[in-house]
Amino acid sequence: MSISRSVKRLMPKSIVARTTLAIVLLALLLGAVFAGLAAWTLQNNEKDRLTTRLDALLQTVEKTVSIACFVKDGALAREIVSGLMSNEAVAGVRIIADGQTLYEQIRPGAAVSAAGEMLPISHLIHSPFDKHQEVGEIVLFASQATLHELAWSYVRYVLFVLGLEVALMSLAVAWVVYNLITRPIKSISDELHRLELRTGMRLRVPRRNKQDELGRLVSDVNALISKLTSLIDTERKLRLERETSERRLSLIFEKVDAGLFEVERNGLLHSWNPAFVRTLGSPPEPPELQALLPAHEAQLRTLIDESLNSGEPREADLELRAQDGHTQWAEISLTPMDNVMLQGVINDITERKRAEFAAQQLASRDTLTGLLNRRGIDAGLAAVFEDRHREPDLAIALMLIDLDYFKQVNDTYGHAAGDIVLCRVADILERIVRRTDLVARPGGDEFTIVLVGIDNISKIEQIAQTIIDEVRKPLDIGNELQVQIGASIGIALIRADDDSPASALHRADEAMYVAKQAGRCRFHVA
Amino acid sequence: MRHLLIAIPLLLLAALPGLSLGAKPPTKDLVVIVNPASGVTALQPGDVVNIFMGRYRKLPSGIVAFPIDIGERSPEREQFYRQLVHKSLAEVDAYWARLVFSGQTSPPLQVPDGKTAVQLVAGNRAAIAYVDRSVVDERVKVVLELESAP
Repeated sequence: MSISRSVKRLMPKSIVARTTLAIVLLALLLGAVFAGLAAWTLQNNEKDRLTTRLDALLQTVEKTVSIACFVKDGALAREIVSGLMSNEAVAGVRIIADGQTLYEQIRPGAAVSAAGEMLPISHLIHSPFDKHQEVGEIVLFASQATLHELAWSYVRYVLFVLGLEVALMSLAVAWVVYNLITRPIKSISDELHRLELRTGMRLRVPRRNKQDELGRLVSDVNALISKLTSLIDTERKLRLERETSERRLSLIFEKVDAGLFEVERNGLLHSWNPAFVRTLGSPPEPPELQALLPAHEAQLRTLIDESLNSGEPREADLELRAQDGHTQWAEISLTPMDNVMLQGVINDITERKRAEFAAQQLASRDTLTGLLNRRGIDAGLAAVFEDRHREPDLAIALMLIDLDYFKQVNDTYGHAAGDIVLCRVADILERIVRRTDLVARPGGDEFTIVLVGIDNISKIEQIAQTIIDEVRKPLDIGNELQVQIGASIGIALIRADDDSPASALHRADEAMYVAKQAGRCRFHVA
Repeated sequence: MRHLLIAIPLLLLAALPGLSLGAKPPTKDLVVIVNPASGVTALQPGDVVNIFMGRYRKLPSGIVAFPIDIGERSPEREQFYRQLVHKSLAEVDAYWARLVFSGQTSPPLQVPDGKTAVQLVAGNRAAIAYVDRSVVDERVKVVLELESAP
């Protein structure tokens, strides 16, 4: 790893230098291989050449050797040997006649002992007079040193030529690479450095590279540049459009009267606008919708789940208790965006609610006493019966109250006094029954009370008696005048077979008539 | 002397069948002779070559050999070396020239004619020479009859 890294660090950065280095290294490697091969081949070649040369040399003296061997003439042998030894390549000569060494000379310094040191060339010697008679042998030792010297001088020559070629080739390659590759690339690169990315900008193709790979590279780069610039232009246009549209939307979001928000399934608010804050107040930390509407947590939960599960928008009107004690109304509408997110709109509908409420008041309440009128008690009874459908054990009791002696008061003191009496009675009745019970004046001096959830008859009778007692007390009608009236009450308990209020009302009416007949100021249970 | 006179015709007769065998009878009928006291009874052509060309200095019997040539350019010498080693006299002289140069081996002694050679062989136990059969006498012993080369 570290070696390769250090090699990388040592590698030159320019293509010219790298190519030249590669060529030099390759040439040296190949040169070494070739030199090795050459050395080996030349060594063998030289050996053969030397052998041939020495063979020829031997041939020239063979006749004389033959004579020397024939007559075993040591002096002649010595002459021959010294003649042969004058040749540098000869390390030693031995002449053997009839199995005995006639004369031998080994050049000092040439070790005979080392087998590889000497290359023996041996010739059998025949009699000068009989070609078939062997008379001796001449052994010539070629000088291995000479052999090596010869071979190496050849190798050195080859190496020198190779080296020269490597040097020249490297220079040539460097020059070619620099002129054909590096310079055009450098000029393209310089232009790229100066290039500013904008429409219509192009690189110039180097003059000599119009048709080659560099030319193609430049035209590719140009194509890329034009594609990029057009992309950038499009992108810029789109961004502007998006910014405008976002600004527009953001303006709407900020300025619209409706409260806009995004909420997760778990109630966590992701965003909201100023109108939302005006309606519900600033969200706490963490911004949870239910924290702003603690009284409607369950309802919100249901609303969110329903909307998300159905994928449909859901709406609800929520009654809010403002800090100053006034009741406010808000309409909340949730539209699912995906599986967990909802977009919400919240509108302050207090004004509308107030108008609605007023209209409803007007329709169902008696304007004089503020009690329910006939329409109101009918609606109320219908609602109670609705409840009884869901809750069959719900006990309901009807009381019909008719005032005694009211006509006299009316006749004696006028309608205004009568109205005061009616208001006083209304106050009494409302005081005696619970808030959840219904109290109505369907008309004239008749009152109706619906007691819900009381099944104890004695309790009902007690209430009736209290009413009778309270109404019988003298009433101030102004101008220090007091009047005394009474109340006759018919009571009917709703039975299981009463599927509408009508029959029960009828029974209560009859019971009231019975009470009146019995002498007034009393009650009767049907 | 008488013996010699008798021997010559005898020898001539004896040589007749040999001569008749050759298609072209040589001008000379050469024989190799030694001293009878040399202890040599017969020699092979190879032995003669060895002795005359300086290879062996001794006769097969152990006596140091003393070869004798006839003349320098005599017909006998010419014929002898032609028949024995198939070489011309120039070649033989060149051969000896090399050996003489070394000084170790000497060529055969040269005598003027066959008679002198016989004389020398008769008087020297170690001498060996080639002569025409006609000059051979009882003082010497023929050990090889050279057949003329075809």
